Amino acid sequence: MTVELATRLIDVLGGLLLFTMLLILAAGQVFRAIYAVAAQAAFLGVAGAVLAAATGNVDLWVIAGITVVAKAVLLPWLLIRVVRRVRIAREIEPVIPVHLTLTIAAGIVVLAFHLNASLGPVRQAITGNALPVGVTLILIGVLVMASRRKALVQMVGLFASENGIFFTAMAVSQGMPLIIEIGVILDVVLGALVMGILVLRVRSSVDADIADLESLRG
Amino acid sequence: METTLTHVARTAAQAALLVAAAPLVTGLVQKLKARLQCRRGASVWQPYRDLAKLLRKGTVEADTASPFFRAVPVLVLAATVATTAMLPVLWAPAQPAAVPLGDAILLVALLALARFLLAVGALDAGGAFGGMGASREMTVGLLVEPALMLTVFSVAVSAGTTEVGLLAARRAPLALSWAAPDLLALFAMLILALAETGRIPVDNPDTHLELTMLHEGMLLEHSGPGLACIALATQVKQLVTLTLVAALFLPVGLASDSSPASLAIALGAFAAKVLALAGFLGLVESSYAKLRFFRVPHFLGLGLVCAFLALALRVL
Amino acid sequence: MARAAVWLGHLVIVGAAAAAAVFAVALLSGSSPAVHVALPRFFPFAAMSLAVDGLSAFFLLVIALVTAAAGVYGPSYLGAHARGPAVQTLALGAFVASMALVCCAGDLFTFLLAWEGMTLASWTLVVSDTRSEENARAGLLYLVMAHAGTAALLVAFLALAERAGGFDFPAVRAAARGLDGPTRTALFMLALAGFGAKAGVVPLHVWLPKAHPAAPSHVSALMSGVMLKVAAYGIFRFGFDLLAPAGGPLPASWGWTVLLLGTASAVIGVLLALQQHDLKRLLAFHSVENVGIILIGAGLAMLLAGGRGPAALATLALAAALLHTLNHAAFKGLLFLGAGSVLARSGLRNMEELGGLARHMPWTAWLFLLGAVAISALPPLNGFVSEWMTFQALLLGGVRLGGASGLLAGVAASMLALTGGLAAACFAKAFGVTFLGRPRTAHAEHATESPAPMIAGMLLLAAACVALGLAPGWAMRLLDRPTAELLVGAASAAVTARGPLVLSAGDAAAGAGPTEISVTLAAALLALLAGLAALLRRGRRDAPRRLAPTWTCGMTPTARFDYTGTAFAKPLRLIFAALYRPRREIVKETGPSPYVVRRLAYTGEVVDLAETLLYARVKRWVTATSHGIRAYSTGRIHGYIAFVLVTLVVSLLLFANG
Repeated sequence: MTVELATRLIDVLGGLLLFTMLLILAAGQVFRAIYAVAAQAAFLGVAGAVLAAATGNVDLWVIAGITVVAKAVLLPWLLIRVVRRVRIAREIEPVIPVHLTLTIAAGIVVLAFHLNASLGPVRQAITGNALPVGVTLILIGVLVMASRRKALVQMVGLFASENGIFFTAMAVSQGMPLIIEIGVILDVVLGALVMGILVLRVRSSVDADIADLESLRG
Repeated sequence: METTLTHVARTAAQAALLVAAAPLVTGLVQKLKARLQCRRGASVWQPYRDLAKLLRKGTVEADTASPFFRAVPVLVLAATVATTAMLPVLWAPAQPAAVPLGDAILLVALLALARFLLAVGALDAGGAFGGMGASREMTVGLLVEPALMLTVFSVAVSAGTTEVGLLAARRAPLALSWAAPDLLALFAMLILALAETGRIPVDNPDTHLELTMLHEGMLLEHSGPGLACIALATQVKQLVTLTLVAALFLPVGLASDSSPASLAIALGAFAAKVLALAGFLGLVESSYAKLRFFRVPHFLGLGLVCAFLALALRVL
Repeated sequence: MARAAVWLGHLVIVGAAAAAAVFAVALLSGSSPAVHVALPRFFPFAAMSLAVDGLSAFFLLVIALVTAAAGVYGPSYLGAHARGPAVQTLALGAFVASMALVCCAGDLFTFLLAWEGMTLASWTLVVSDTRSEENARAGLLYLVMAHAGTAALLVAFLALAERAGGFDFPAVRAAARGLDGPTRTALFMLALAGFGAKAGVVPLHVWLPKAHPAAPSHVSALMSGVMLKVAAYGIFRFGFDLLAPAGGPLPASWGWTVLLLGTASAVIGVLLALQQHDLKRLLAFHSVENVGIILIGAGLAMLLAGGRGPAALATLALAAALLHTLNHAAFKGLLFLGAGSVLARSGLRNMEELGGLARHMPWTAWLFLLGAVAISALPPLNGFVSEWMTFQALLLGGVRLGGASGLLAGVAASMLALTGGLAAACFAKAFGVTFLGRPRTAHAEHATESPAPMIAGMLLLAAACVALGLAPGWAMRLLDRPTAELLVGAASAAVTARGPLVLSAGDAAAGAGPTEISVTLAAALLALLAGLAALLRRGRRDAPRRLAPTWTCGMTPTARFDYTGTAFAKPLRLIFAALYRPRREIVKETGPSPYVVRRLAYTGEVVDLAETLLYARVKRWVTATSHGIRAYSTGRIHGYIAFVLVTLVVSLLLFANG
C-alpha cells in the first residue's frame, strides 16, 4: 500500500470517525449511541490496519485487532447487556438540549482545526488531518460525558474519547508501545466492568440511577 | 466543440428522460417497500396508471377557492420540471454551457418556488388540513435550505463553481476517491434528500388523513388533472433530488460525446446510481418510524452540523 | 380646495422624482464628471455644498423610484384617511427632499443638517397619521433612537472635521488618509453605530417595527424602502470612501463586524417578522432582514477590498449589496403600498381579522403576491438576482479568503439561505391569511378594490421588480460608476461578461470557470412549461367539474376553520423557542361539567430578546440613575446655578491641564 493511498484512507476514516461521533451526540436512544460507538471502534480498527499495512509496523496489526475485538464487539455487547438487564428508560436524557451540544461540537471542530493550523511541524505526511480529528474526538467524548445524565451514556462518551486518543496516537506517532496500548484497553474494559456492575448493583439494591447520586450532596 | 443546438437538444433529452422516468422511481421504491414487508405489492408501473386515471377524471373544487387555486398545479409542475434542465444526467459539459441554466442555487430556488406556490394554494381552500400541511412543509423546507446550501458550498469550494454540470465534470476524475469532507457532505445530503423527497422519517408519503402528513395535507383539495400535475411534480422533484445527489457525489460514467457506446454507459451508470439511491430511500422508509414533527429539527440539525463540518474541513 | 392642494403637492413630488431619476440615470450611464455645486454660505463657520458622484446618483435613483410610486399613490390614500392631508403632503415633500439632500451632500455639515431634517420630517409623519397613545410612544422611541445615533455620528464628524480643518468631503478624505489604525477603526465603528441605528441593524432595530407602520402607508414604504437605504448610503460612503485608507485593504475588523451584524440582522429580523400579525409591522421587520442582506454584501466587499481578494470579487460583492438596495426598495415599497391598500379599504391591519380579499381586491392581491415572491428571493424576480450574486460572492470570496474568514462566509451563506426560507414561509402566511380563504370579519368581507391611482403606484413598483429580475444586466450598467468609485472594478465587467441577460460570476485567477445563469431564460422556460402543464391540467373536455365545500371532516366549513397566521407560525415558535421565549395563556370557560367547554380564549406573545435583554436593562439603569440624581434636585434655582458654576470650574480645570 502506498503512503499516498494510506493518507487518503486515513483522511476518509477520520471523516467517518467524526460522523459516528455526531451520531453519538445526536442519538435519541441509548442503543443507538452504543451502536454508533461500536461502529466508531470498528473504523478505528480499520484505520489501524491501514497504517499497519502502510508502515509495516507489526504492533499496529495487534492493536487494530485488539481494538476491534475489545471495543467494537466486547464492550458494546457488555453495555447492551447492562441496558437490557436494568431495563432503564431507553431515551437519552440530555442535561442541555441536543441542538446546543451539536453546536458546541461544531465549535470544537473549528477550534481543533484552527489550532492544528498553528501546529504545522507536527502534521506529518501520512497523518493528514488525523491530529485535529483525534483532538476533536477526545473533546467531544468529554462533551458527551458532561452533557448526558445516564451513567451508561457517559461510559459511551468515555469510549469515544478513548477512541480519539488511540486515533491520535496511531496516526501521529504510529502508535504507542504495544504494552501501553494493551494496558489502556484493559483499563477501559475494567472501567466498563466496574461501571456496569455499579449500575446493576445500585439499581437492584436501592432502585436508583447513577444520576440520582447528586441528591446525596450535603 | 459543443454547439448551442446540441446543447439544447441534450438538455431537452435529459429533461424528458427525468420526467418520463420519475413515476417509475416512485414505483420502484413502493415495490421495494412492499417486498421488504413480505407483500407482493403493486406493479412498478402503477404510478403511470394512477396519473393516467387522474388525468381522465373530473374535478371537484372548493367553493371558496380563488382562480389562483386552479393555477397552482400548473405553476408547481412548471417550476419543478424546469429544474430538470439544470442537471447532468447523461452528459457532462466540459465548459460553461451556451445556454446558462444549470446552476445549483437556481435549482434549489425553483424547488423553493414550487413549494411556496403549493403552500399558498393550500391556504386558499380555507380548510385546516391545507393550512397545517402548508405550515409544516414550509417549516421543513426552511430547515433544509441552510444545510443544503452548506453542502453545495462545501462541494463547490473544490470546483469553484455552482453550475452542476461543470461541477460534475470537474469532479469526475476524482470519481469515487472521496476525502473526509466529501463523505460528511454526502451524509448531510442523504439526510436532506430524505426530507426533500418527503419520506420517512420526516414525512410519510403513504398517508392522507393522518396528522403526521406534511406534503399530502396540502394536496387534499386538489383533484383530477390538477392532482395529477402535482403528483407528477412530486415524483419529478424526487428524481431531481436523487440526480442532484448523484451529480455532486457520484459523477461517474457521464458521457462527453454522443457515441452510442458512451451513451449506453452513461445511461447504465445513471440507472445504477438512481436505483441505489432509491433503494436507500426504500430501506430507510421500511426500517425507521416516522419522527414526531418536533423531532425533525434534531434530525435535520444533524445534517446541518455534518454539512458545516464538511465545509470547515474544506476551508480550514 | 384642500384636495386640489394635496393633488398638486403630490404632483410636484412626482415631477421632482421623475426629474431626479432622469438626472441620476444620465449621470450613471454617462461618463460626465461628478456634479459639484457650492451652496450660498448660510452659516459663517461652514461652507455648504452639494456633490453628486456615482454613489450619490445611484441612491438618488432609489429614492426617486419609490417616491414616484408613493406620490402617485398618496392622494387617494390620504383621501380615504383625511387627517390633515395638507400638512402630511408638506411633510412628505420635506422628507423626500431631505433624503435626497443627504445623498447629495458634499460636506459633513450639509449631510448632518439634511440627516436631522430627514428624521424630523419622518417623525412628523409618524405621529400625525393617527393620534393614538401607541403612535406617540412609537414616535418618542424613534426620536430617542435617532438622536442616540446622531450623537454617535456627531462625535465621528467633529473628530474628522477637526483633523481636516473643515467639513468638505475632499478635505475629510485627505485627512482620513493620515489616521492611525485604531483611530480609523474607532471612527468607523462610531459611524456604523450611528448609521446602524437608523438602518435598523440588530440590536438597534427596536424602534423600527414600531415607527414604520405608524406612518401613512406610502410613507411607510418610503421609510422602509428608502430611508434605511440612506443610512446604508452612509455606511458605504464612510466605509469605502471617506474613512478608507489610501491603497491597501480595509481593516479586517470592519468586514467581520459588518458581516456578522448583517447575518444577525437578516436572521433575527425575519424570525421576528414571522410572528407578527400586523401586516405593516411584519413588513417593517422584513426591512431589518433586508438591511442585513445588504450588509452581508457590504461586509464581504470590505473583507475582499484593496487587494485581499481579487478586485472582481470585491466588485461582485459590492454590486450585490447595491443591487439589493434597489431591489428591496422596489419590492418593499410595493408590499407596503399593498398593505396600505388593504388598510384603506378594510380599515384593518391585523391579518387574523382579514381573509378572502383576493376575490374583491384582485389587483392588490396579485401585486402583493408578486412582491411576496420577489422578497422571498424566488426566481424569476429581482430578489433572487441580488441574493444569487450575494451567494456567489460569498462562495468565491470564501474560497479566496480561506481560513476563519472563509468559514464565516460559508456560515453567512447558509444563514442567508435560512433567511430566504423563513421569508418564503412568512409571506406564504402573510399572503395566504390576508388574501385567501374565507373572510374572517365583515370588514374583510365588504372591502372593495382600491381606486386606480393607488393601483398605478403599485404597478410602477411591480414593473420595476419584474424588469430588475428579468433583465438585471441593465441595472448592472448603472452600478458601474459607484463600484468603480468605491473599489476599482466596474460591476458590469464583473457580472455581465456574457451580455446583459446573462449573469456570470467567477474567479478567473483561481482557474475556476464562471457560474452563469440567465433569469430571463429561466423565466422563458417557466412560461413554456407552464403552457404545457396548462394543457395537461385542462384534462378531458367532457370531464365533469363541480364546486363543493372544502373538506372539514363532515362539518359545515366556516371561517373559523381557516388556518390562522398564529397557527401557521406555531412550529417555528416551538423550534426557535430559545429566541422567542413564547408565552401563552389559555382561559377555558366550562359549563356544568368540565367536558363542556363554553369559551376558549387564547393569548400568546413572543418577545424580542434585544428588548428584554438589552433595552429593559438600560431603561432600568437610566431610571435608577435618575432617581439617584433626583435626591440632589431640590427645586431651588440657586442650587441649579451652583451646579452650573461647579461644572464650569471643573471643565476649565480639565481643559487647562489637558
